[in-house]
Amino acid sequence: MPRSKRRSTTDMSSNEDDRYASKRLRNSSSRRVSRVEEAQSFSQKRCLAWFREYTTPDDPDTLGPEGMEKFCEDIGVEPENVVMLVLAFKMQARQMGFFTKEEWLKGLGEMQCDSIQKLQYRLDYLRCLLNDQNIFKAIYRYAYDFARDKDQRSMDMETAKAMLQLLLGKHWALYTQFSQFLDQSKYKVINKDQWCNILEFSRTIYNDLSNYDVDGAWPVMLDEFVEWLKTSRAKAAIS
Amino acid sequence: MSRHVSKIGDPSPLKRLDEPQISKKIRLEIEVDENMSDNSPDRNRRANFSNVNGVNRNLNIHSVKPTTKKLIIKNFKSEPKLPDDYNETTWKKLSSAVIAIQQSKPNEYLLEELYQAVGNMCSHKMASELYKNLFELIDAHVRSNIEKFKTETMDRLLFLKKMNDTWQSHCNQMIMIRGIFLCLDRTYVLQNPNISSIWDMGLDLFRKYFMLHTLVQTRVVEGLLMLIEQERQGDKVDRILLKSLLRMLTDLQIYNKAFEQKFLQSTERLYAAEGQRLMQELEVPEFLAHVDKRIHEENERVLHYLDSSTKYQLIHTVEKQLLSEHINNILQKGLDNLLEENRLHDLSLLYQLFSRVKNGLQELCHAFNAFIKKQGRTIVIDPEKDKTMVQELLDFKDAMDNIVASCFKKNEMFSNSLKEAFEHFINQRTNKPAELIAKFVDSKLRAGNKEATEEELERLLDKIMVLFRFIHGKDVFEAFYKKDLAKRLLVGKSASVDAEKSMLSKLKQECGGGFTSKLEGMFKDMELSKDINVAFKQHLNINTPELMPLDMTVNILTMGYWPTYLPMDVTLPAQMVKFQDIFKEFYLSKHNGRKLQWQPTLGHCVLKARFKAGQKELVVSLFQTLVILLFNESDEHGFEYIKAATNIEDGELRRTLQSLACGKARVLNKIPKGREIEDNDKFKFNNDFVNKLFRIKINQIQMKETTEEQKATEERVFQDRQYQIDAAIVRIMKMRKTLSHNLLISELLGQLKFPVKPSDLKKRIESLIDRDYMERDKDNSNQYNYVA
Repeated sequence: MPRSKRRSTTDMSSNEDDRYASKRLRNSSSRRVSRVEEAQSFSQKRCLAWFREYTTPDDPDTLGPEGMEKFCEDIGVEPENVVMLVLAFKMQARQMGFFTKEEWLKGLGEMQCDSIQKLQYRLDYLRCLLNDQNIFKAIYRYAYDFARDKDQRSMDMETAKAMLQLLLGKHWALYTQFSQFLDQSKYKVINKDQWCNILEFSRTIYNDLSNYDVDGAWPVMLDEFVEWLKTSRAKAAIS
Repeated sequence: MSRHVSKIGDPSPLKRLDEPQISKKIRLEIEVDENMSDNSPDRNRRANFSNVNGVNRNLNIHSVKPTTKKLIIKNFKSEPKLPDDYNETTWKKLSSAVIAIQQSKPNEYLLEELYQAVGNMCSHKMASELYKNLFELIDAHVRSNIEKFKTETMDRLLFLKKMNDTWQSHCNQMIMIRGIFLCLDRTYVLQNPNISSIWDMGLDLFRKYFMLHTLVQTRVVEGLLMLIEQERQGDKVDRILLKSLLRMLTDLQIYNKAFEQKFLQSTERLYAAEGQRLMQELEVPEFLAHVDKRIHEENERVLHYLDSSTKYQLIHTVEKQLLSEHINNILQKGLDNLLEENRLHDLSLLYQLFSRVKNGLQELCHAFNAFIKKQGRTIVIDPEKDKTMVQELLDFKDAMDNIVASCFKKNEMFSNSLKEAFEHFINQRTNKPAELIAKFVDSKLRAGNKEATEEELERLLDKIMVLFRFIHGKDVFEAFYKKDLAKRLLVGKSASVDAEKSMLSKLKQECGGGFTSKLEGMFKDMELSKDINVAFKQHLNINTPELMPLDMTVNILTMGYWPTYLPMDVTLPAQMVKFQDIFKEFYLSKHNGRKLQWQPTLGHCVLKARFKAGQKELVVSLFQTLVILLFNESDEHGFEYIKAATNIEDGELRRTLQSLACGKARVLNKIPKGREIEDNDKFKFNNDFVNKLFRIKINQIQMKETTEEQKATEERVFQDRQYQIDAAIVRIMKMRKTLSHNLLISELLGQLKFPVKPSDLKKRIESLIDRDYMERDKDNSNQYNYVA
């Protein structure tokens, strides 16, 4: 244990920028002022201790699926809630279902959270982040690499649909149709370019597709989707 | 000038005045004289007018400086006196003469006398009264003349004839009268610009009464129109009468107002009805002939009796009613037939007629274009007609070229349209025409094709190149051409090296060196191989003379130039292997670092075989050779044994055995008999083989293979295209670094030489993005960035 703790501090000093160093200084100085403030202010140590609650002794620096389940339970959020994605984005977690120690400390440190309670207070703030167009775009792009199987370049269709449901399901009126289109299509995977363009598409193209330019740069998948949607709408109109 | 003077003195001025043109000219000249003589006021009083012109003219010419002679001449003169009743008596004389003329009675006075009397009156200031009197006289006569017609109710033709007579006599009388009153015309009329000459006065009066009595006028015009209508219906009519009356209208200056408009209207009505009717009744060629006839007739009409100013409008009206109105009908109804049946004469007529009307040629060209596209499409699109497609295309092109050249006067618009249409329909079916053209060329260039001489072949190749030019996917052509060329070269079946070279140079000219470099490489390989073989034979003679004399020829094919052949491993007889090894050693010693790979599929051999009936030479493929050689060991082998011994691929072996045991020349017998080769079949050497030829070629059975080959060739072309697209995208992006989607697409379409759909390009772009050769701009999804 102490060994890892020491390493973590060295890691911190080497990895984190000056801002963190100064924060640490401020924290240590505030500790002396009062215990109440100490409870409210961020403690690196407490944060790490909290992290350890979810890890196993075999792999003390990685929070695995089981720990994740417990963590979700503790903060009162279902694992498939979109907030978890935002949290992962904050931590810049590399792999879905896992947090490493560095990711944990970086993300929670940034948010000044070292306890369940503090994090719960911040959940609404995290949800709010989704409303910012630019941050949402960043989260959306991040989600692709986050959710993708790291052995493969592209994301398999099941994951992709789940992620799309999570991110666009509520806001994009054509999501249901798009999902149906994917079900009947020959596509087995979605590549990053297609992924990014789906967001663009959902944001810019009207529901009646009137402003869709077939000769534009849209990936062929979206051309096919538009084609498919138009024919199925035409069929519906006839019957 | 002397001519002029004598003419004035001419007792019968009638002849001269026949032509109003000339009389006008004379009048002009006189005018000049008068102006000149105005210089000296006393000259007016001179009685001896016949001298005046001549002498004075001469005088005036020299009279820049006045001379003393002039004075002397003046003194000669004494004032003549006229009797007091001269006016009355003279007018009496004159009026009686005029009335005599008008009534066509003999004149009791000499014309000379009358003429001089008029002259005298003019010089004694009685001109205006004279003119007035004359006017009244003529007025009365013309009025009574015309009024006669008012009450006449005779037949139209008769009416016209009478009218014409009246007019003719009026003209004659007026000429006569004018002759007598010439002095009046020359002095009084000229000095008073408001008064018209005697001739004009006659016309004016005639016009006045003619116009006044509209009934007469309408009857004349209607009569004329009726005559013309009759002529249009094919009757013979009195053209001279028509001409004369129309001239009358022209002279009276009412041709335009009274006649022309009505005439054009009736023409329009007639031809509008005729056009509608005949369009329904007649076939297009007949209709065209009819229109041509009509236009010709109307031209004649203008030539014979109409005023030439009517020509443009008349012809225009006919063209409009018979052609312009029916352009679409004619084209829809008849053009296709004419083109199909190659009716050059009718087509020429069609072109010639259509060139007369506005937009006619454009419409014709348009319809011509549509016809070619439609017709061409039927040639190209039907897979059942693949066998004859190229020949049909050539014939079709010839026919169309001929039509453009001989019927459409080589109009550039048409030849361009022809090209455009060909290019359009040939590419309606992708790839197949290119493939078939390549195969067609192959069939022409292959040996044994004796149907054409060198020159004919050359001309044929030129024509094929024209078709080739229209093809978009030239790479498909190249792939098939290359495959066939390889066959021709390797089997030595090429009809003539010259023809091959000429075709190659044509291709090079058309598509550039890049297109033909591989084909040229193939020829080079063949030539190098010849040299190598000669060297190899010498090598063998020197180094290993003890080897059995097996004649081996090796063709060294450079990989990349030639089509790719699947390498096959087969078991060769030890003899051959030995030769191969020797050759390999020999070749590699010369060309260090190269790799040789044997292609057994392409080899062929000549075998000597002894049958009961005698010795034969068999020209067979390497695979056939391997099978036949097995029968040197034993007369009978099972399928499995042959397969194991030769190691030939199963399908290939079955085909080979089929060719040897089931084909025309059966050197093996299959047990049991049958077309298909089964696993348990046995094969026996056919010692009873007979054939009248000594050297026998046993063809490989290839039917199945060609479809496979064809598919493979196509596949390879498509694969190549993908690489080419990828390469082009990367090349462009590398140069531009960032580029918007549309610009990239358009640049690609400019660079790629085969037809591609934008969606295909998009797929390749996405694939390149996926492979990190480029990326989509983070902020602008319509823009790509090159990734180094």
